[in-house]
Amino acid sequence: MISRANSCGLIWDFATADSLSGTGAWVLSAMQRYGPELVTMLWRILGNEQDVCDAYQDTFLKLAHFEGGQKPEHVKAYIFRSAANVAISMLRHKIIERKNLSEAVTDNSIRSPAIELDSKYLQESLRGGIAQLPEHLRSVVTLHDLAELSYAQVGKILGITAATARVYRCKAIQLLTVLMNKKE
Amino acid sequence: MKTKVANKKCKSIRYRLYKAVSKRIGLNADWVQNHIVGCSRCRQRLASVGRVNLALSLIKSQPHNLALLMRANTQAVGVLKHSLRNAPRAQKLKVMLPEPKLRERCQKYKHSLANVAACIAILLLMKVGVFSSMDRFQRQGRKVVKQYYASRVGEEMANEIFSA
Repeated sequence: MISRANSCGLIWDFATADSLSGTGAWVLSAMQRYGPELVTMLWRILGNEQDVCDAYQDTFLKLAHFEGGQKPEHVKAYIFRSAANVAISMLRHKIIERKNLSEAVTDNSIRSPAIELDSKYLQESLRGGIAQLPEHLRSVVTLHDLAELSYAQVGKILGITAATARVYRCKAIQLLTVLMNKKE
Repeated sequence: MKTKVANKKCKSIRYRLYKAVSKRIGLNADWVQNHIVGCSRCRQRLASVGRVNLALSLIKSQPHNLALLMRANTQAVGVLKHSLRNAPRAQKLKVMLPEPKLRERCQKYKHSLANVAACIAILLLMKVGVFSSMDRFQRQGRKVVKQYYASRVGEEMANEIFSA
């Protein structure tokens, strides 16, 4: 009963806050609504808690300052796309930094089968591959595989059909196999 | 209306076509497996795709800290404008924990729901079967009795009795 009253209270909070759209309270409601999914997606892209918090913060800061505090027409699409972009650019920076460091320390040109099957290595090489994908393919992979959105939702967010999203995902996997096999 | 029906038909045909094609040229089809055994390039390709899928499932299977959402919300709320930072909802966001989706919450009741649905379906079928049998039995009995009367008191009399 208490939890129901609480949830009713939350709904009421939503309603009152959304009615005050001029105050920017919709940013908070967007955070409440899409926050958990967004954190999961960012965690899967970045794999580091502090980076996730930074990317999350950047996303909502961008949202709050979108066209001088205006609410975007498709909040979900805006949030997910900008979060994915922020995360990917952070990932690229990290990869470059790591590359520079590893070049300075050791030569990693020889990969043993044990390393290839190592879970951390696999995850990192996949992240590296995703960061190298062309934008249209990368968006589909991040939204479908990492944010676990359906093809229909991905299509809606990217402004393409579900069938196109499916084709892009297939192409992205093909390209990822090539990128992951490439010797660094 | 017509286009809707046509679209539905088109969708079902596409689905059937996809099923038929994937049965024949899916990765588990015998001829594909036989080819893979003998072809090193295909084996390599398959292994590469497997690696990508394995990496994707590894990434998905890594859970994040439960407090990560709280931490991210706190950090994000901290850079919003003063009025938003001090709003009661912002305080709620700072202690928010991720909750499983409705679909995931219903997952554990899936089997019980399926059992209940199956029981209801069986009961309905039984009910329909019993009623239709009773109806048939009644009609047959009436026919037999009418025939008996027709043979004893004549066709006209029997018709008069059974039409009433």
